[in-house]
Amino acid sequence: MTGYFSEIWRLRYFWMALVRIDLRNRYRRSVIGIGWSLLHPIAMTVVLCVVFSQLFRQDIRTFAPFLLSGLTLWGFITAVVMQGCQCFFVSESYIRQQRAPLAIYPLRTTLGAGFHFVLGFGIAAMLVWCVRGFGNPPVLLSLIPTLALLFVIGWSLAICAGVANVMFQDSQHLIEVLMQVLFYATPIIYRPEMLLERHPLMPWFVFLNPFAALLELIRKPLLDGVLPAPWAIDMSLALAVAAAAMAALALRRFEKRMIFYL
Amino acid sequence: MSVIQLDDVGLKFQVRRFGRISLKEYLLQGLFRRAKKATFEVQALEHIDLCVEEGDRLGIIGHNGAGKSTLLKLLAGIYPPSSGHRRVDGRVSALFDIALGFEHDASGWENICYRGFLQGETPRSIRAKMQPIADFSELGDFLNMSVRYYSAGMMVRLAFSIATAIEPEILIVDEVLAAGDLAFQTKAREKMKHLISRARAVIVVSHDLASLELMCDRVLWLDHGHVRQLGPAKEVIAAYTQEVSGGARQAA
Repeated sequence: MTGYFSEIWRLRYFWMALVRIDLRNRYRRSVIGIGWSLLHPIAMTVVLCVVFSQLFRQDIRTFAPFLLSGLTLWGFITAVVMQGCQCFFVSESYIRQQRAPLAIYPLRTTLGAGFHFVLGFGIAAMLVWCVRGFGNPPVLLSLIPTLALLFVIGWSLAICAGVANVMFQDSQHLIEVLMQVLFYATPIIYRPEMLLERHPLMPWFVFLNPFAALLELIRKPLLDGVLPAPWAIDMSLALAVAAAAMAALALRRFEKRMIFYL
Repeated sequence: MSVIQLDDVGLKFQVRRFGRISLKEYLLQGLFRRAKKATFEVQALEHIDLCVEEGDRLGIIGHNGAGKSTLLKLLAGIYPPSSGHRRVDGRVSALFDIALGFEHDASGWENICYRGFLQGETPRSIRAKMQPIADFSELGDFLNMSVRYYSAGMMVRLAFSIATAIEPEILIVDEVLAAGDLAFQTKAREKMKHLISRARAVIVVSHDLASLELMCDRVLWLDHGHVRQLGPAKEVIAAYTQEVSGGARQAA
């Protein structure tokens, strides 16, 4: 186990260089550079703000940062999972060339997606700051462990998705459907409170959804200036542990054989 | 002390009848046992015992599909053995499929870095090697260009220059000598000779029997995944040549 990680560390210049080139290619191809990749969450935010402010009588000043932070987090999860599906195929020529821990390829995906997330989240934070200022700035420090947690979850999910897609070709399609379902099942574009009051079972629907917990983890300190609720922390930790365990299991069982299925 | 040791190593490929398998198919197969099995197995290597000592130069020969390249990839640690035991003691540098593994949107210079990093270099150690690699490839200003626009020959030149820039401990080579144009081939051959003289152990696959006989002290003749003969280069090559030409005469 430690040997595996030290091998990954030994090759750090390799995967860091790959992440750098991914970012550069993504930004260089467009005139507006970084703005391009943020266009999706920002455009979604604008549209949803206009619609929802009419529909649900939401105050735009609080709703816009709420949406933007949620959409960028979801963007990270989707990117990690969907690009994770392809990560081993994209790197096939390296895998065939040189023996290296396979986990470095999902790591490349995760770091790239993580960079976009931090950017988008930074914009959401600036939005909050401009509109009404942070209520309680020290609470924002809780975002640091949250980021670490997101990294673990992202890397693990990318590994799982990648392995699944190599072993079974229709995984990507299944995962795509699942992500779409999760998008609507998770309080990303609506407030969890909107659900909680509707039906006695609805609280479970929110509290047992680990992605809802992750959203709580980033939104509470940023938007409300309070620490996230204990249930959210527990659920997020549970997700991280479960995802990491699954990733470790998947690698242990399939890593050596994957070369035959690429 | 041996550098490489294979004990009764076998390698089975799971070949899928219809390309890649889907989860749907897999589940259906579990539900209805009668469903036709979607994979079949190919025994690529069987009962391979091999011991490469310090200073050995081993050549591998055999007809197409005998398992030569598979054996090399197994030695390099890319394929895991499905049975038996593999032990390699030292850093392996492998030269095969060398035109693969480039980032097409990056320049030649950058790709030198990436490949170097994959081979375990650090930014500090690669800096000293950049210029010699560039010089050897003779690509000049093309190195500033994105690799996407390289011709196949240019890629091979670059790949060969990078791969041979490190001092290998155990060198594994799969017929890369036929790389690039004639001038570059000559140069590449010289470079290979140099590398072979410095490495602790060398394993080469080639169809060029004459140069194998010069290069290697021992030769392994692989036939349908089995070791047909292993011994002094001259002896094995002679036996192989006799069989091949004998077969040709029979056919005629």
